[in-house]
This record gives sequence, C-alpha cells and structure tokens, in this order.
Amino acid sequence: MDHFHSGIPTAALGAGQFAPETNAGAGVRIGPFEVFLPRQPISQASSAVRPANNQEYPGRLFIVEGIDGSGKSTQLMLLHKWLESKGYGVVFSEWNSSPLVKDTTKLGKKKKMLSPATFSLIHATDFADRTERSILPLLKAGAVVLCDRYAYTAFARDVARGMDREWVRDLYDFAVRPAVAFYFRVPLETAIGRITASRDCLKFYEAGMDLGLSDDSVESFRIFQGRILEEYERMIPEFGLTVVDATLPVEAQQAQVRRIAKRHLDEAKELRVKP
Amino acid sequence: MRETYGKSLPGMKLNDLAGKLIVIEGTDGAGRTTQINMLKTWLEERGHAVLDTGMTRSPLAGEGIQRAKEGNNLGRLTQSLFYATDFVDRLENEIAPALRAGFVVLTDRYIYSLMARAVVRGVDPEWIRSIYSTALKPDAVFYLRVGIEQLIPRVVFSRGFDYWESGMDLFPAHDMYEAFCSYQKALLREFERLAAEFGFEIVDASRDAKSVFSVLKDRILTVLEGAPGEASLAQQISERIDRMLRSPEGRLAAGASAAGQAAAKGLELAPRHFPGSFPRANGNGRSA
Repeated sequence: MDHFHSGIPTAALGAGQFAPETNAGAGVRIGPFEVFLPRQPISQASSAVRPANNQEYPGRLFIVEGIDGSGKSTQLMLLHKWLESKGYGVVFSEWNSSPLVKDTTKLGKKKKMLSPATFSLIHATDFADRTERSILPLLKAGAVVLCDRYAYTAFARDVARGMDREWVRDLYDFAVRPAVAFYFRVPLETAIGRITASRDCLKFYEAGMDLGLSDDSVESFRIFQGRILEEYERMIPEFGLTVVDATLPVEAQQAQVRRIAKRHLDEAKELRVKP
Repeated sequence: MRETYGKSLPGMKLNDLAGKLIVIEGTDGAGRTTQINMLKTWLEERGHAVLDTGMTRSPLAGEGIQRAKEGNNLGRLTQSLFYATDFVDRLENEIAPALRAGFVVLTDRYIYSLMARAVVRGVDPEWIRSIYSTALKPDAVFYLRVGIEQLIPRVVFSRGFDYWESGMDLFPAHDMYEAFCSYQKALLREFERLAAEFGFEIVDASRDAKSVFSVLKDRILTVLEGAPGEASLAQQISERIDRMLRSPEGRLAAGASAAGQAAAKGLELAPRHFPGSFPRANGNGRSA
C-alpha cells in the first residue's frame, strides 16, 4: 500500500474536461482525482497511486515538524529570513490557518466538542483548503513554500488519539510530498521544560486532556507527547524525514537547515525570484 | 452486532447499536424531505422513537459549511472533508447514541450522496470511500429514483435553481439551467453505480408523494419486523407508564417512579447534543 504520494492533478479538471458520459471507462489517474476510472468497493480501497512529489512542480516545499517546544517554528522563521534575503519568492503557511475552516476548529476546541475522529477531519479540512488554495498553486507558480507543521503532525497526533494509522494516511493522500521534511528531534523532558517555562497553562487538546490520560495537565501532556514522539520515530524511515538534533545550539541547527535547503534550491531551475 | 464499511472509530462500540438506521437517498428534488416528514409522524404514531438527521445539521460543522459555501470558493477536497467532519460529528453524537437507545434513525442522505458529489467533481472514488469506511452500515437504504425530466419542473416550481445544486463550481461558464442538467445527470449516473455497489432498495419517486409513502411504509415495516428487539423498548416503557398511570391506587407512586426512571434513562442515554425527536433549529430538512 502506497500512501501519501498523490498530489492534486497537474492539469486540474476544468468544466470543459468534465465528461461524465465516459466516466465508466478505464482508469486514467491524476493524483487523487481521476476523470475516467473503474469503480471499486470500499473493501478494495487504496491501491498504489502515482506519486506527486515536490519535484514535479517548479517551486520547492520545505516543512518543519516536531513536538511542541522542539524549536521548529524558530528554525523555520530563521530559514524564512534567509530565503528572503537571498531574493526568493517565499510564502509561509501555518497549520490551522484556513480562513474557511479555522472558525469551526476554534469552536470545536473552545466547546470541547471534538472527538478524535472529528479532530482529525477538521484539521484535514483545513489542510485541504490550504493545499487547494495556496500550497499547490504556489508550487506550480515556482514559489518556495514553507509550512510550520504538515500532514505528519496529523499522523502523529491522530494516531496518538487512537485513530487508525492507515486511515489517517489515506485521509492525507492528496498532500504534496515536500522536498524536505525537517524533524526537530528533542527529548520529551527538554520539550516539557521549554513549554512549562514559557506558558501559564497548557491548552486542553494540546495536552491530550480529551483522552482522559490524567487529571493533571502536565502529566497528561507528558503521556500524550510521549505517544506523539513514538509516532514521529516511526515516520522517520517511513517518509524519509530529515532529522535535526534540536538540543544543539540554535545557530548550529540553522546552519544544517540552510545547507540542506540550499542543495534543493540549487537543483530547482524554475524558481521564481523577486523581480 | 452492527458493521462498518471496514474501519471503526475510537470508542464506537458496535455491539449495542440496536435501533434501526434507515437511509433515504436521492438527488435534489427527489422528495426526500416530504417522505421523511410523513415517515416520522407515522413511525411515532406506531410508538417508535424517531431521530431524523441530515447533512450540515451538526453543531460542530453545520454553520461553518454554510458560511464556506456563501463565498463560492470552496474547493472540492475541502468541501468533501468539511462534509465528512459534519457527518462524523452527527454519527458519533446523534446517530450512534440514538441507535444505542433503540431509536429508529431516519437520515436524509448518508455517505452515498457525499460520495456521489465528490466523484462527479473528479475526486478519487477510492479516497472518498476510505474516509467513509468508518460509517455504520445501515439497515436499509431507500433510493428515491427520479429522472432528470421530472426533476426540472420540481425545482423550477418550488425553490428555483441554487448555485451548488446546479454544480456551478463545476460549470462556471454555463447558465444555471444548463449546469443543473449536466450536474444532476452526472449525479444520477453516479447514484446508479452506488445503488448496485451498496445494494440500495430502489423506489420509483416519479409517482405522487402518497404512492411513494405507501411503498416506503411497506418496506420499512419489513425492516422493523426483521428484528423487533430494541425498537420496541420505547414502546414498552411508554405502555408500562400508561398502565401504571391508569390504575388509581398506583397513580402517585407510579408517576413518581416512572418519571424517575425516564429521567435516569434520559441522563444515561443523553449524548452531548442529542436532539431527540424534536426538529432542529437549522434542520429545515434541505440538505445543501
């Protein structure tokens, strides 16, 4: 089973191409969409699909992952500054920021209405909107796209909440595979130390309080983030995440990030630079 | 033991969902809402507790979907997943608790409409099926089948053409009438495929509402008789309360204990936002 490989079609299905008459024909697959294809029952779902790696688009996608307190956002900000100073057209997209969806997520969190399944689905909805509206068109346009958290965050959190591992991977089947996925690896205690030092209190879902692991939010956070770390470890070989030792000095980490990013940017021939 | 389409949701126990899950499917204008309203009244008269539910009625995502649709810039993946969120919220918090309490759940559309809409928009059928693999298998799916010729006058002479019902996101260069015809034809074709795949019971909905209703009643009776079990629980309780209240000496004590029992039952069974058999504020029955 080949997951998380199919992007959005390079040639989107436009009105003129809509041809339901021929819909029952043999399968021509373009990413998660297909125009003409054989129907299959649920039990046989998910066969291999054409990979839509970043390399297929002129732009370059770099994403950062890691548990809260790993320092990934700081590192992404520093990468952003550097890319801008070099003249690249850079766009930043944050987890949970779709204008169409974020109010619903906020409502669900505030009123504690989210179950593991709806938590997973509403975040996937947000991600789909950002993919359709910005990430994909920008990559096609030759931009450098930076994402703070990506589908891997969902894979880690949703599975830690009890969702089926395969189901969540299928859910994000439409995501473009990034050029580099940096994983900022940090021991649990270091992350907890950073988080508790900088915050008065932990948020309900962030600490996994919805799972009833412990009445104490720090203890719940510890158990929940521990599960998330296990999922990240599993994903390193599965998705080829690039591991950065997040206990190193900020400057050392950033030097490594820039070195790796530069290699990918040098290979990309159609990148758009600031006029 | 109720089954799903392959995967189950965390915390969803499948062994005590004893009520009946009855799906009314059909394209826009097939008469689903009319039938559901009549069926609900009829079932309640027979003593069944009924929950009716339908698309975009979840407290979590219902309003968000409506807002997103106003802008006409809702992409097909986002649309599919937003509806999936709405569906799963209702599945976990309304449909499953109602089935657990022995209700007859009448649902105006189910995963099949959502699959059809996604697929005619070019979304991978396998992808959308994998998302809905967590859905509960219903006890029956009645597909109200009408042809495009009958559909058009129903829409023209009731509410007029709607942006999304006409698939204008797919046919931006068409006018609403042309778009409606192309879009609804594609949906009807997709429904035919789904009918075979998921074993829909097809009901000829080109006939008048009364004839359709009587066909549905007959078929639903078969579903209900199939396994009386929990569907009659509500009936048993209400009969017992009636009996107790009728005996003059037992009136006071019985009244108190029945109320107590009902309250205890209610507390125990009440899910987070369970609407019972009351119509929802935003539930005008029209799935959008």
